[in-house]
Amino acid sequence: MNCLDYRRVLLSGEAENRAMKEHRLQCPPCAAVLAENAQFERELRRAVEVPVPPQVEQRLATAVVSRRRRFLAAAAIGALAVGAGGYSWLSRPDAIALDCIEFVLMEEAKSILKGSMTRPEAETALAPTLPLARIGRIGEVRHIGPCPFNGQNAYHVIVEVPQGKVTLLVMPEGSAAGRAKREGLYASVVPLRSGSVGVIGADAAVVDSVAGALRSSRA
Amino acid sequence: MRFDDLVRVHAADLYRYAFWLTREPRQAEDVVQEALLRSWRAFPQLRDPAAAKAWLFSIVRNEFYRAIAKNGPPLENVDDLELSDESASPPGLEMREALTRLPPSYAEPLALQVLGGFSCAEIAAMMGITEGAAMTRLTRARQALKRVVAPDGARERKGGRL
Repeated sequence: MNCLDYRRVLLSGEAENRAMKEHRLQCPPCAAVLAENAQFERELRRAVEVPVPPQVEQRLATAVVSRRRRFLAAAAIGALAVGAGGYSWLSRPDAIALDCIEFVLMEEAKSILKGSMTRPEAETALAPTLPLARIGRIGEVRHIGPCPFNGQNAYHVIVEVPQGKVTLLVMPEGSAAGRAKREGLYASVVPLRSGSVGVIGADAAVVDSVAGALRSSRA
Repeated sequence: MRFDDLVRVHAADLYRYAFWLTREPRQAEDVVQEALLRSWRAFPQLRDPAAAKAWLFSIVRNEFYRAIAKNGPPLENVDDLELSDESASPPGLEMREALTRLPPSYAEPLALQVLGGFSCAEIAAMMGITEGAAMTRLTRARQALKRVVAPDGARERKGGRL
């Protein structure tokens, strides 16, 4: 390691590794840079550690406990409904629909950050499976991007409908179907003439409505 | 470790991280609250307790971007009163004000590094960027802050060998 490498890593804030330490021990200028940098890093830490509002931890704990209780109560009512054979969202979930929910929970943010396709690109890519014009009849398209999903090159679409946001996962290959509910999200996977589409949202009625619209327009 | 213990240990830093994402104390609290509820539901599936901190930070991040997708980007409303505290020295305050002016793409990895102690590789994985890009953003963020805090470059020692 030379001085340039040492200072490059130091300026990124990455912790000093063995090679860096060895260099610093035999390079007084770099040792001096480290000492000077320590003061900057202390100031940086103080700056990043914004004051936490009074009682915020207590408020968070109280709010989370209260919402947990409501969640558990709702789950208990749901379990009763299942016992009565009444609520199809709480029946055994399908793997593909669960994967759709998992995508929204864990991957959606990253996918958005990767950026949207241009409209002409999206029109070409989606045409064989679910034409963009058909999605546009459901609501306003906010994001379209390619995403690896379910072992294929799928497309991640976010649509603003009057009742809120729904996510579509357009899968060009295979013909899948299923439903699932998890973590407060609902997913319905609908087979299309070619491929299938997963509809994911926080409102069961909206997911059903969008899935129904896509299903009825597949012919 | 119990979920409640995990929250007690990390709540303050999760709030601070959410603050640097939202730049607004009330929204930061809302984001953390939603994230904690979501993480409580998923907690039984957390297999590696050592990964709990990164897991919680990731859920806060996801929750923030979910809120953006639903409500649009947050309105910046950084109140000086909210940013000041007695523990921050004048240089610390100057640096904090400079931090608020950093683009989110630079401030976020910095917050993850300083608050979470995450490496460039971990930050890259959390943000969905390459390790090199994470390192570049962290470096540029520090360079920008150093320019503000010490505009004459007095803190940057010249010399050394290549």
